[in-house]
Amino acid sequence: MTPRKPLPIFLAVVKALFLRELGMRMSVGKAGLFWTFFEPFAQVAMFILIRVAIIGATGSTTSYNFAVFMAVGFIAFNMFRNILSSSTGAFTANKALFSYKQVKPIDTIIARIMVEMFITGIIILLFLFIGFLLQYELKPENLVLVFAGYLWLVVFSFAVGLVVGIGNTFYVSIGKFVGIFSFLLMIASAVFFPLESIPPAGQEILLYNPLVHFMEMIHAAYIYELDDRFVDYTYMLKWTITPLFIGMWLYVRLEKKIISQ
Amino acid sequence: MIELKNVTKYFRTNQGKKYILKDVSITLPDGNVGILGRNGAGKSTLMRMLGRIEFPSKGSITSPNSFSWPLGLGGGFVGNMTGKANVKFVSRLYGKNEKEINDIIAYVRDFSELGDYFDMPIKTYSSGMKGRLSFGLSLAFDFDYMLIDETLSVGDARFKDKAQAALKKKIESCHILLVSHSMNTLKDLCQTGLLVHEGQLHYYEDINDAIARYEDINKGKS
Repeated sequence: MTPRKPLPIFLAVVKALFLRELGMRMSVGKAGLFWTFFEPFAQVAMFILIRVAIIGATGSTTSYNFAVFMAVGFIAFNMFRNILSSSTGAFTANKALFSYKQVKPIDTIIARIMVEMFITGIIILLFLFIGFLLQYELKPENLVLVFAGYLWLVVFSFAVGLVVGIGNTFYVSIGKFVGIFSFLLMIASAVFFPLESIPPAGQEILLYNPLVHFMEMIHAAYIYELDDRFVDYTYMLKWTITPLFIGMWLYVRLEKKIISQ
Repeated sequence: MIELKNVTKYFRTNQGKKYILKDVSITLPDGNVGILGRNGAGKSTLMRMLGRIEFPSKGSITSPNSFSWPLGLGGGFVGNMTGKANVKFVSRLYGKNEKEINDIIAYVRDFSELGDYFDMPIKTYSSGMKGRLSFGLSLAFDFDYMLIDETLSVGDARFKDKAQAALKKKIESCHILLVSHSMNTLKDLCQTGLLVHEGQLHYYEDINDAIARYEDINKGKS
């Protein structure tokens, strides 16, 4: 067998893993497939209902379309949560594949993230289609910034997911803890409300959460009436680079251990 | 050629370090090598190290040759994917294009004789069926060395003969490192022998010498 260069090997492995993960996600049957794509709609609809129930239909009239606001934030947060949970189990679930020496553990995380991005892409298209049918105003204020916000969020999720995935390989409790925590995060991440709508004391506390900055950034980029006055881009950068370095450092040190675990 | 330089391998256990290899330096010339040793001596660990999925605690193993994945009993398959999907996956790992992948699928489907099971999830397979798939798949690739760990005993008598014949044909163009407890299989397929014993590797140019030494050890002579 003629030796191959590292880059073609990496690309071939990630492609194989991506297609395999996608195949597994699609092989869950019609009902499973339906829920993969319908669940986000159900959840967004539920949160809109909760909001209407709390504030009342009249109180919820904003100058922008609130359903669009919720959908934009929720899809982004949902992607973060899915990347985090699929990265958490990436090493332990793919252990059997490490008997092929070209499969490096990090490839499995990368492939899983690509699958999540692909599914998020389809969910976005479905939401746009439904919004179009409902004749909502869907035009974003700055499409490039929305994309940038989503991509940045992917990098952030990858960094956090890598650290958690490595931790979970050696201590399973870490994965469980993160699972519970990420559910709580949804409420505390300004997914369903703009930060300006809550009292300043609450704003100050929530702004420690890096996800709040991501949500505010994405909301501001999509919705004309909102701006990014609360977003601290340096803070977001710190929260991206720090876990990325910790993750990479741990990974380089522990790669062999993860393979032969 | 395989070169081991000052290779030490141990596992940390609750009872302290368990040594598999202790400061081993040896150069193995190309050939079909039968690997012998008692249970737990470290034969499988050695195979895994050659397949680069286990790593020496100290020292290095180098070789200009390519190695297959260690062919064990059905390892590396994903239970809820079909046999065909698994074959496709491994072919993609090795960077094969669509045409080559189709050829490999056709070959493995034919060789493994799994019939309808080939298109069914692996979790429905018996261990013999998994072994057949695994063995057929490995034959579809060209390695310099095939790492075979006891897989020749899979399947029924007829399939065993077929597998043995296919392997004999295969080793005309590649080499094997074979772990087996069947001395006849070792004599049949290998010319040289490697004995794993008490943290050391002993190389024999004649497999019969390796077998004789191994039998001495088993009788309690040291």
